[in-house]
Amino acid sequence: MEAAVQALPKRRTQGWAVVAEQELRDLWLGGRGLLLGLGFSVLLSIIAYLTATNQALNFLEQRESVNVTLQVAIAVGSLLALLAAADAISGERERSTLESLLLAPVSRLDLTGGKLAAALSLWLAAFVITIPYVWFLGRGVDLVGDALLVGFFVGTLLAVFLASLGIVISVFASSNRVSLSLSLFLLLAVFTPTQLPSSAQKGWAGEFLLRVNPLTAGEHYVGKIIVNGHSWSEDASWLISPIVAAPTFLALAGFVGARYIRLGRRAAE
Amino acid sequence: MTPSVEAVGLNKRYGSFVALESLSFSLQAGEVLGVLGPNGAGKTTAIRVLTTILGPSSGRFSVAGVPHTRPLEIRRLVGVLPESAGYPARQTGEEYLRYFARLYGHSRASARGLAQELLAQVRLFDRRHSLIGGYSRGMRQRLGIARALVNDPQVVFLDEPTLGLDPAGQRQVLGLVRRITTERGATVLLSTHLLAEVEEVCSRVIILNRGRLAADGTVSEIARRAAAPRSARLRVAAEHVERARATLARSAGIERVEPANGQLGSLVAMLDAGGSPAAMNDGLRALADAEVPVLAFELEGARLSDAFLAMTEEP
Amino acid sequence: MSPRRAGACFAAAAAVALALVGAASAAADDVSVIVHQSRIDTRLGENIVFRAEFANHGSTATGALIAHLNVLSLRQGVEVDPEDWSTHRTRYLGTIAPGATRTITWKVHAINKGRIALYVAVLPQAGDNRPPAIGRTVQLVVAGRDTLNAGGILPLALGVPALLGLITGGMQFARRRR
Repeated sequence: MEAAVQALPKRRTQGWAVVAEQELRDLWLGGRGLLLGLGFSVLLSIIAYLTATNQALNFLEQRESVNVTLQVAIAVGSLLALLAAADAISGERERSTLESLLLAPVSRLDLTGGKLAAALSLWLAAFVITIPYVWFLGRGVDLVGDALLVGFFVGTLLAVFLASLGIVISVFASSNRVSLSLSLFLLLAVFTPTQLPSSAQKGWAGEFLLRVNPLTAGEHYVGKIIVNGHSWSEDASWLISPIVAAPTFLALAGFVGARYIRLGRRAAE
Repeated sequence: MTPSVEAVGLNKRYGSFVALESLSFSLQAGEVLGVLGPNGAGKTTAIRVLTTILGPSSGRFSVAGVPHTRPLEIRRLVGVLPESAGYPARQTGEEYLRYFARLYGHSRASARGLAQELLAQVRLFDRRHSLIGGYSRGMRQRLGIARALVNDPQVVFLDEPTLGLDPAGQRQVLGLVRRITTERGATVLLSTHLLAEVEEVCSRVIILNRGRLAADGTVSEIARRAAAPRSARLRVAAEHVERARATLARSAGIERVEPANGQLGSLVAMLDAGGSPAAMNDGLRALADAEVPVLAFELEGARLSDAFLAMTEEP
Repeated sequence: MSPRRAGACFAAAAAVALALVGAASAAADDVSVIVHQSRIDTRLGENIVFRAEFANHGSTATGALIAHLNVLSLRQGVEVDPEDWSTHRTRYLGTIAPGATRTITWKVHAINKGRIALYVAVLPQAGDNRPPAIGRTVQLVVAGRDTLNAGGILPLALGVPALLGLITGGMQFARRRR
């Protein structure tokens, strides 16, 4: 019997990579990812066109237009990653395809990792689509390189944080509807501090809320680099919460995925 | 010889609800075990425990000699068709099988070849590039069986494989089940509501009721345990019907003889309760002595359905 | 000394003082603000460095001092938000030893085209009523440049979605054909 176990082909590719490859194929070759990217590019085109046709654009407004474009890319890209991750486990459960996956000789951690990687591809695609717009809007003010670098860095941290959060929700949600609703609700909650009056944002409590929230902190940091021309170290303290949140929630997603993926409340007859 | 599947004292509880209680049985290599039971008896739970989807609350089991403490190894050796399994609507049949082949360790090239081979075996080769969303229920079940065979498993678990299929579809699936054992030599554990399926393909049967093992044996062993009245159906020439009735009625062990409904020359001889088939032999000898030619004869034993109902009826 | 000679001395002293006024002003506690530039030419979007020196001419150390850079437009109707042009405009110098000089630089971004005035004021951190010492006004002349070609956005705004649409449509078509 032991010989029988050893006779099976030894997997050359890691389990998570096989899962990720299939998820990416489903997402991109299946057309869903491209449709999302198309919608996103239309949004960016509208923003860029309205910005660029403002003939009285001065230096600061141009920097702000680059900032707006990048903030939209980060927000939409991480939103898409969150929603894809929120569907990862609860969606399989709802479509009755989870059991077949759990029967395969792939660890639940690998399953989680592969789905997370596929969810993050939506952020990467959003960023790639944004590049030509940032290049166009930022080339006159020598901003393109810095803007793309800081946007990619901060956006990736936020996408990892949100996608990992989506996975955690998806593992425990009783249905896909609950998973998606809860994810959207949490996303709105983390964006809410940006809507506080500026006087409230400037007080110690307001600033604390902005700093501890990875999304607002990241958004603030990107704005300071692009609009105000600060150096990367000048406002580095604002990066603490995104840098802490990303690996923390990534580890949490791995832990939860490895231990708590279930077929349902009670997988009985 | 190491059993192909062995369960010893398996228990599965959800809080105070007992889904499985002290389930013990063993299955040898190449056997086809039918798992019967009413809804909620624990059939699917038993399969999910044995295939490592669920952990047992207590007890132990082994599959293909691998103990339950090594679930990843067990999953590499078994193939499973879950009850009501879903399939990704936007993948093609070939993509789906390729994916699982890759999960089981195949390279891209060998996964493609294996997928096509399996699709041919389950007669889906012509639809390999069609989206699964366009497959009929029967096609999906066959695809599911193909997926269960991706890793050339030693033990195959089929949970309600013919559920929702028309008779033709059921026949196709049962044919595949037979081929799994005869061509691959795999052990099969088949959970079903359809007693006719069990009688047709299974060498052994277990009956579960409320999580407990109610019966374990061959089909005929279990049928005999039901002590249901047994009968024989025979056909004689129309002109010999009365003589045959009188001769059989006088034979020991035969309770009564009645004409079979709507069939000229056919008779049904009811054996005494607790009687054995040997009583019918005496009846046949008596007919031969009375020079009544018997044109057709069939001993109707107690049905598995009788045993099933007897063992699972509400108290 | 005759009145005529005294008047001549006074005039000479005044002339010297006037000559120096473009380079330095005396602070109430003997701190002067020295700015060597009088005009800076740059282009829209460029960064320039504005430098000011703070010298203590007195015989004792100064109290704690604050230096502040001001930015304003020399053309009426053009709004300038100093925060956009330079951050951290207020600098806390601490004390300056007698005879010592402290140099501070500010990074200034040319946000708008036009003529902008830059000047530095220094005042005691104690906040007393003495007037601040002020350095000379530097004229920052920002030339405009075309940084954005509005017409050039159309190919991009239409092209990127069109390209993605083509790829999407092509893939759907290929899948259906298979």
